[in-house]
Amino acid sequence: MSTDQTSREEQFAVATQWQLTWWRFRKHKLAVLSGLIVIAFYIIVLFADFFAYADPHATDSRRSHIPPQTIHFFDDGAFKPYVHGLTQKRDLRTFKLSYQIDPDRKVYLDVFAEGYRYNLFGLIPSSTHLLGLKNAQPEDGIFLLGTDLVGRDLWSRIMVATRISLTIGLAGVTVSLFLGVLLGGLSAVYGGVVDMMIQRLIEILRSMPTIPLWMGLAAALPNTWTVIQVYLAITIIISFLGWTDLARVVRGKFLALRNEDFIAAAELAGASQFRIIFHHMLPSFLSHIIAATSLALPAMIISETSLSFLGLGLRPPAISWGILLQDAQNIETLALAPWLLAAAVPVIIIILAFNFLGDGLRDAADPYG
Amino acid sequence: MKKAFWLGMATSVVMGLAGALTAQAQQPSANLAASGLVGKLEGPEIISDASKWPKAFQESPDLAALVKDGKLPAVKDRLPSEPMVLKPLAEVGKYGGTWRRGFLGPGDWENGNRLNASDKLLFWDPTGTKIVPSAAKSWEQSADGKTIRVNLRKGMRWSDGAPFTADDFVFWFEDLYSNKDIVSAPIADMSPGGKPGKVVKIDDTTVEFQFENPHFLFIDFLAGDTLIGGGQSVRQSQGTTYGAYAPKHYLKQFLPKYSSEQAVNEKAKAEGFENWVKMLHFKKDWTLNTALPTIGPWKTTNPINTPTWVLERNPYYWAVDTAGNQLPYIDKVVLTLAEDSEVINLRAIGGNYDMQERHISLSKLPVVLDNQQKGGYKVHLDLALHGSDTTLFINQSYKADPEIAKWLTNADFRRALSMGIDRKQLNETFWLGIGTPGSVAPSVQMPQSPGKEYREKWSVLDLAKANQLLDSIGLTKKDSDGYRVRTDNGERLRIQIQAVKALLPWPQQGEMIAEQWRKIGIQADVREMERTLATTRTRNNEHQIMIWTNGGTELLYLFPRHALPVDPTEAYVGPEFATWFSSNGANGRAPTDPNLLKALELFRSASAEKTEAGRDKIAQDIWKILVDQQYMIGTVGESPAQFGVRLVSNKLGNIPSRSCIAQHCRTPSSSHPETWFYKQ
Repeated sequence: MSTDQTSREEQFAVATQWQLTWWRFRKHKLAVLSGLIVIAFYIIVLFADFFAYADPHATDSRRSHIPPQTIHFFDDGAFKPYVHGLTQKRDLRTFKLSYQIDPDRKVYLDVFAEGYRYNLFGLIPSSTHLLGLKNAQPEDGIFLLGTDLVGRDLWSRIMVATRISLTIGLAGVTVSLFLGVLLGGLSAVYGGVVDMMIQRLIEILRSMPTIPLWMGLAAALPNTWTVIQVYLAITIIISFLGWTDLARVVRGKFLALRNEDFIAAAELAGASQFRIIFHHMLPSFLSHIIAATSLALPAMIISETSLSFLGLGLRPPAISWGILLQDAQNIETLALAPWLLAAAVPVIIIILAFNFLGDGLRDAADPYG
Repeated sequence: MKKAFWLGMATSVVMGLAGALTAQAQQPSANLAASGLVGKLEGPEIISDASKWPKAFQESPDLAALVKDGKLPAVKDRLPSEPMVLKPLAEVGKYGGTWRRGFLGPGDWENGNRLNASDKLLFWDPTGTKIVPSAAKSWEQSADGKTIRVNLRKGMRWSDGAPFTADDFVFWFEDLYSNKDIVSAPIADMSPGGKPGKVVKIDDTTVEFQFENPHFLFIDFLAGDTLIGGGQSVRQSQGTTYGAYAPKHYLKQFLPKYSSEQAVNEKAKAEGFENWVKMLHFKKDWTLNTALPTIGPWKTTNPINTPTWVLERNPYYWAVDTAGNQLPYIDKVVLTLAEDSEVINLRAIGGNYDMQERHISLSKLPVVLDNQQKGGYKVHLDLALHGSDTTLFINQSYKADPEIAKWLTNADFRRALSMGIDRKQLNETFWLGIGTPGSVAPSVQMPQSPGKEYREKWSVLDLAKANQLLDSIGLTKKDSDGYRVRTDNGERLRIQIQAVKALLPWPQQGEMIAEQWRKIGIQADVREMERTLATTRTRNNEHQIMIWTNGGTELLYLFPRHALPVDPTEAYVGPEFATWFSSNGANGRAPTDPNLLKALELFRSASAEKTEAGRDKIAQDIWKILVDQQYMIGTVGESPAQFGVRLVSNKLGNIPSRSCIAQHCRTPSSSHPETWFYKQ
């Protein structure tokens, strides 16, 4: 036996549960990668306006349906990224818009450039953006992913949509986590009639097909509400349906733990029920809750996206992934501006990432297993 | 929660618009000439010279077979002695074929009504500028304008073979229209100066409409898509009972007068209706009741509340071509249910419809054109005659927020808003550059047009002047984001625009307009709404600005509600004033704005004006006030956005290269679909 191995075993023996969990998690390469992707997305959430380079609401007919643009990285052998100028033309026979690249006109890209004004974290006024153009004419622009019918830049809109779609997911999960732990816990601790009522409520909620239920709840939202009110209401609607899973799991865990010796010991020592629940029981299945949460998040995100896609969720001028996709659900988009479907890509990436991450977390949560 | 970041997004700088302030006036005709998609207004001609009428008549093979079996009288006995003789646009056609079309369910009943609109007494010619006979042979108006005589076609019959006579008019007037259980209140069309008129039989083929006050507009009303003139198909369906005539021989069995209230109620119960009135509303609805006698070219054989609404040839239709062939040529119209207009567009592009103009979206035009060969169709663009497909109606009777009301009723404020709109941008983005930017005034082709200058007055982008006007009326203070602030509490002035996603993507357009107004320091919040909610809010006087079309206003008197607050059902310019106007001052509130009051007075005076030229002059004066005051801000019009993108199968013949798109033309009926035919 080498000393190396001995020291590792010793380390293993004295490691805390969190360390063990982390070591186990690290082995799941896909989960680690997914974790990084999730972090990257949430960085975008925090700095969405910084990553966007064009005002996501600014319309301009001269920018209608511009296809994704190529960025040239080298100019005369040096690293000087630039884009070409574009000229809009409408074919008077087919009525299609086309954009001709002006090969002589190069507009150079700039980092940390000045752009539209926004408030960082909703507080700090700023106008710095990751990308911008140097010495640009008003008609010049960057169009990494192209533009929509009214000339709004898709990349910038996706950035801002990410913020809304992912915070709705997060807020929704927080509410459903709270409800799940509370109601699941109550159900297990009190038992009897309370348990019966909560469990039947869960069954009723789970037996309903989700789309019609969403439609019903979303239709109940007053049409005169502002975008912010709708945003909050959608979050609550989504989370009201998401708590049932977690409540079941929490209840099961509570029931299992109630018969453990350390709980009996705490009870005999005279600890209050509140203390037992939050000090002794909750930590022992916290890891499980974390894993369940990371799996619940993608479900929330999909819920918001599909609700908005169906026109039941958020409404313009709010920007979310669902709204971007809703803009793309017609024949002229498919035929004339297929790049607008790119709004689906971040949805796919983040859902996969959350699922792999949740998978890794679940494995890691039980490091002795 | 996130309020600050929402505001942050809304206040960002618009990029790259500075260079767009180029000239507005753009000639669409030059653009469109290149496309070859806009033809000239044309259609079949009505031959009025009896010496040129055919002497012998033929019929379709399926009817000939029925005649041979003795199930139907011979064609000469089915036709009136004075039929309507139509000279087809290009050639005498052939019988046969099924016209495939798409519709959106029972709510889309106009889809079929409009094919049958020749059941009106009078109609407009294919150019939409001249009144011509239709079901009635001719008309006369007394010099004092109080009596209008309508001459019917001798020997004309209902679709079941019963004679169509003056009795059917008297029946409509006395037994249906005057019965409060069926029609709750008299209609303005029949009550010039608030005094109800009456319908009198002179002889079997002569009917007189008699009024106490001059009613010089009545001929126009009979020809227009009005309550009195709309014809049986549209005016006696969907629970309404207007339209001047009804099949007495069939409907009298459902009325208490001809048996007893108990008897008809029992009959109603037996058929599953609550009472006789409900039963009557079903029985006289041509879209639902296949047994109802009608006079249009096609009658329903499979009702509208099924997946396929089928119309079949009326064997007693009273029009023939110049060769003596009884019309229509086409055997059948089959309207197939589609879930939404997107599906109709897809099917049309796939070549599944033979002629479809309804629900085809202008934004899909490039795709529609791309698939012409594959789909076996040709595309025509029919330009409308009204001024503005997207109109901002500014509520003049708004009062919920006095500060907002103060500005909405300020003419310079409205003019500034209008000059702050970049109509060229809107036209390029949403009309593919095809429409004509301008005010709400109708096309200069129309006799009631106030002239070209009024298409442009206050309606061309001019940011400097707009800003100057806003400053001059006292909106000088701005907040840190550059928006003008209210004069009462110093907060940002926020105007609400309510928009429905209907004819055009109005919410999206509203957002673009709101964007443009940022440059004159005006914040507009666009609220997308479902149509019913928007209607309810406007009827309750809750809206500030409503986006809707001003379609129908190309002939002001026939469809005034998109231009003047005269009809409470749709009065976006001032619901309270419409109540006041329509109740002759009994309810609602009179406008305090002398200009609006003047416009309403002019409108009321038109009915007593003897000559058409005089009435057109009054309409022009009304338009001058409306444009100068900008109660409605026009954007882009004279476009094919409203049923003007027409896909026609290559198999069809006698198709006009341009068809009249207007309320009074009952598109496509003024082009007489009964003369269209399948070449193979």
